[in-house]
Amino acid sequence: MNEPLLVFREIEKSFSGSQILCGVDLSLYPGKCILLSGKNGVGKTILLKIIAGLEIPDLAKIEISGKTNSWEKAVRSVRKEIIYLHQHPIMFSSTVESNVAYGLRFASLNRKQRRESVDEALEWAGLTDVAKKQAKTLSGGVQQRVAFTRAWILKPKVLLLDEPMANMDHESREQTYQLLVRMKSAGMSLVITSHFMQYFEGIVDQHFQLKNGALELKSKS
Amino acid sequence: MNGLLLTTQQALQLLFTGDPELWSIVLLSFSVSLKAILLTTPFAFLVSFALSHGKFPGIRIILAIFNSLLSVPTVVIGLFLYVLLTRQGPFGDLRLLFTQTAMIIGQMILCFPTLVALGYAAIQAADRRVWETARTLGAPPWFSMLTVFFEVRFALLAAVLTGFGRIISEIGISMMIGGNIMGYTRNITTAIAMETSKGEFAQGIALGLVLLLLSFLLTALLSYLQGHKEFAA
Ligand SMILES: Nc1ncnc2c1ncn2[C@@H]1O[C@H](COP(=O)(O)OP(=O)(O)OP(=O)(O)O)[C@@H](O)[C@H]1O
Ligand SMILES: [Mg+2]
Repeated sequence: MNEPLLVFREIEKSFSGSQILCGVDLSLYPGKCILLSGKNGVGKTILLKIIAGLEIPDLAKIEISGKTNSWEKAVRSVRKEIIYLHQHPIMFSSTVESNVAYGLRFASLNRKQRRESVDEALEWAGLTDVAKKQAKTLSGGVQQRVAFTRAWILKPKVLLLDEPMANMDHESREQTYQLLVRMKSAGMSLVITSHFMQYFEGIVDQHFQLKNGALELKSKS
Repeated sequence: MNGLLLTTQQALQLLFTGDPELWSIVLLSFSVSLKAILLTTPFAFLVSFALSHGKFPGIRIILAIFNSLLSVPTVVIGLFLYVLLTRQGPFGDLRLLFTQTAMIIGQMILCFPTLVALGYAAIQAADRRVWETARTLGAPPWFSMLTVFFEVRFALLAAVLTGFGRIISEIGISMMIGGNIMGYTRNITTAIAMETSKGEFAQGIALGLVLLLLSFLLTALLSYLQGHKEFAA
C-alpha cells in the first residue's frame, strides 16, 4: 500500500479503572476501507470517537507523513479531516437541506458556492425530493442518508462509520452500500464498525477484530 | 361587600383609563425585571452548559449548591445585599442602595440559580450526539453550544419565563434594597404592599390584577412550550 494518511499509535483508554483500549495501532490509507468487528462493549465506538477527536484518550500518538506527534498536539488539525457518523444519527431540528448544509458554513465558500454544493450533494444522495422536509420527521433509513450526505459534502479525508447498516432493510442497505462505494472511490479513507461482515464484502480492504483492548488482523485483501 | 365592589370598580377604572401613576409602576416593574433576566440568562446558560457538557471535578457538588439556592428566601438576599450596599458596608461607596441598579442586581441573584438549574435540566435532556455531530462536522465549540441550545430552545425559553415569573413577583429584595421610592424604585409588589397598608385598596387591586394576568399568561405560555418539548425530544 502507498503512504498512509494518518497513523494512530498506542491508543489507550480506560473508564473508572477498567482498561478498554490498551495499545491500539491503526493506519488509515486514502481510498481504503477498514472493517472493525468485536463483541458488544469491547470499545469500537470509543475507538472511533478517539480517532475523530470526540473522546480524549489516556494516551495516543498520531503520525502524519512520517512525523510523530502527541495526540493533544495533532488532534486539532486531524479533527478537521475526520468525520464520525453515529450508529443512530441525530438530525438537527431543521430541514434536510439545512442539515446537509450545516458544516459548510465553516468552510470558506460564498453563498452561491454553498447553494450549488448543497444541491449537488442532495442529488448525489437522492434526497432532492425531501430537501424541504423536517429531517426529524423522516424514517431512520432516510435520516441515515442525510447523515451521510452532510458528512460527504465536507469531503473529509477520513470517514468513520459506526454500524452504518444496523436496523436497515434490504433496500436501504443496498443504497447505503452504493454510497460507500462512491465515497471510497472518491479517495476517502473509511473505517466501519459492524457485526455484519457480509454487508461489506467487496469494499473492505482490511478486517480487524478488537479483542482485549487491541486490534487483531483477521484478513487483508 | 359593597365596599369591595366599589374598590374593584375603582381598580378597573384605574386600569382602563390608563392611570399614569399606575402604569408607570407597571412599566418600572417590567423594565427592572426584564433587564435583570436578560443580563442573567446568557451567563446562567453558559454555566448550565459547562455543568452538563464539561468534564471537571465537583460538578455534582456545584449542582447541589445551585439546587439548594433555588429556595433561598428573597428577604435573605435582600438582607445580604443591604449589608453589602449600605453606606457603612463594603460596597457603600458605590451608593447603590435604594436604586434600580440595586434591584436589578438583587433580582439577578434571585433568578440566577433558577436559570442555571432549569437550563441544566434542559441542556442535559439534549442528546449528547447533538454536540458530537456539530463538533465532528467542523463547528467550533461556541457554535456547537449554540446548536445544542437551539435543539432545546423551548425548554430554555421555559426556564427564562419561569425565572421572569419569579423575579417580577418577588417583594423582599425590591422592598429592602429598592426602598419603594415613587417613580424610581416603586414596582408592582412594593406598591401593592404600601397601598394596602395605607388602606387604599383600589390601586393595590389594580396592580394585583396585572400581576395575576401576567402569571396566567406565563403559565399558559409554559404549558404551550411543554407541548413543544415533547415534540423536540
Ligand atoms: N462515558 C463512559 N463512561 C464509562 N464507561 C464507558 C463510557 N463510554 C463507554 N464506556 C464503556 O466502554 C466500553 C466500550 O464501549 P463502546 O461503546 O465503545 O463499545 P462498542 O464496542 O461500540 O459496543 P457495541 O458493539 O455495543 O456498539 C463499554 O463497556 C462501556 O460501558
Ligand atoms: Mg458501538
